[in-house]
Amino acid sequence: MSARPENAAPDLATIEEFLCREADYLDAADLDSWFELYTEDGTYWMPVSPDQTNPETEISIFYDDRLLMEIRRRNFGDPLAASMEYPVRCSHLIGNIRYAPDGGPADGWRVLSNFQAAIHYRGKTTFYAGKYSHDLVQTGGGLKIRHKRVDLINCDSFELGSIMIYL
Amino acid sequence: MTHYNKEQIRNLVHDDRIHRDVYVDPDIFDLEMERIWSRAWIFVGHDSQVPQAGDFYTTMIGREPVIMVRQTNGDVKVLHNRCAHKGAKLTGKIQGSCKGFRCPYHGWTYKLDGRLAGVPARKGYDGSAFDIKDPDFAMREVAQSDSYRGFVFATLDANAPPLPAYLDDAASTLDNIADRAPDGEVEVAGPPLRYLHDCNWKMFIENLNDAMHPMVAHGTVGNAARRFVAEQPEGTEYPGEAEIIFPFGSSYEFFDKMGITALPNGHAYMGGEMSIHSDYSDVSGYMEAMIESYGEEKTKKILSQNRHNTIFYPSFTAKDAVQAVRICRPIAVDKTMVESWHFRLKGAPEQMLKRTILYSRLINSNASMVGPDDWDCYTRIQEGLLSDAKVWLDSQRGLGHEDDVGGGRRKSFGTSDLSYRNQMKAWLDYMTAETTS
Repeated sequence: MSARPENAAPDLATIEEFLCREADYLDAADLDSWFELYTEDGTYWMPVSPDQTNPETEISIFYDDRLLMEIRRRNFGDPLAASMEYPVRCSHLIGNIRYAPDGGPADGWRVLSNFQAAIHYRGKTTFYAGKYSHDLVQTGGGLKIRHKRVDLINCDSFELGSIMIYL
Repeated sequence: MTHYNKEQIRNLVHDDRIHRDVYVDPDIFDLEMERIWSRAWIFVGHDSQVPQAGDFYTTMIGREPVIMVRQTNGDVKVLHNRCAHKGAKLTGKIQGSCKGFRCPYHGWTYKLDGRLAGVPARKGYDGSAFDIKDPDFAMREVAQSDSYRGFVFATLDANAPPLPAYLDDAASTLDNIADRAPDGEVEVAGPPLRYLHDCNWKMFIENLNDAMHPMVAHGTVGNAARRFVAEQPEGTEYPGEAEIIFPFGSSYEFFDKMGITALPNGHAYMGGEMSIHSDYSDVSGYMEAMIESYGEEKTKKILSQNRHNTIFYPSFTAKDAVQAVRICRPIAVDKTMVESWHFRLKGAPEQMLKRTILYSRLINSNASMVGPDDWDCYTRIQEGLLSDAKVWLDSQRGLGHEDDVGGGRRKSFGTSDLSYRNQMKAWLDYMTAETTS
């Protein structure tokens, strides 16, 4: 058996509350609060193909470590950037929340969910849908995300334009 | 039918200004598809995408769906993706492998070289002009296709000059990409990143040698990075991300010093021996592998070529020092697909590929802190050009400060509009050329 603390696993209601909190921060475009939900070694990955296994040797839409999150939250909303002249408004729906049958960090848990999100930006509302995989750990500061993978159902499509905020 | 005659087209392009119709008029776009995208050599793919006989990759040449397919004799052919019977696309896949093509509508089958292999219930054609050996009932091969260091180009014009003549000195960028591999060749690494742009294709291709925009349009990400670094304890090391992001905020003087070289056929490259990529740190083991393959002198020579973007007008742009390329696919007058592809240097440490990927993710991705600002500026131009306040775009920066260096090549300072004017000159040449067909 792995060192996974099975007994201490939070119940799904706690997990759901946590995922909703993350979604609330993104809906409010509050990247400073969102960023606090990640561990120091936290990463956020949005692959460009459904079966992608390596974020370093193949291109991704997002693959942010802490440093890029730090730069991104400082860059976000800077009025001098052409792309930031318009508000970004999102609405996330998360469901089908369950523990993954396998995988995840040795000192935590992998939680799977489905999501749908609409992002309103530059006069247009774009609909995104896909699956989340959250690797969660319990820390002194509460539950944190060590790694989040976002698999868009249209990650490899010919229709993706700019994506201005984490999903 | 278009309302533009040649004289009217000539009046759209001047040395110091370009008429907005070039970007916003759907009739001009239609003419471009016919006169530029059907005549120029267009980038199709890389032969490493189709290593085995029967491997294929599909894309577009202008409005033509095409298939790049590896033959049993090892050649790579580019065929039109159209059944000779009723016109259905023979494959809807982006890539795959097959023994031959079969139309899913009426079951006509073709060999890998496009020859018709069979049709169901052939007796029904008895007494008609149908002949299985008639090339009219084969998949058509494009007028010409050829490759250079594995980069496959094709043209729909049988009278186009051969590929090396089209490439001119832009070929040296492809040489450098391949030479940077200790094994002397590169291969495509992973799927491309596709980014749909709401703008005319020329805004993208012009921007790649526009050195007046990085410090403005991409200033904020550099500032954000610097603000973050300033908050860190002294002596904190810059991570790999920083050495990629910072040069985008380089000064006008820096970009001027890089210089721009305009080539025939609308091609150009920025930088020569220095660019925004020259100060990347060494990757452990890479130099050793290069020296073992080429010796010290040649390695030094290869690595001293360090260009920013090379434009292969109208469809392809490449970064030799980064091994990343972008492909421009016009869809409509205000819709353009930009694909980012990445290459593995064969024989080099995997860290080199990781840097290529990191670069592209930071700069080219739909979700990067750089690409969306370019996207937004192109869209603003597309929107702003609808204004009747003025019908001209300005192209005169550096006009009169160009050195003719022979062979149809000109050089100027990096922030000059030379590459822009050079592209529009090629545009005009294509758009007003005498047709032979």
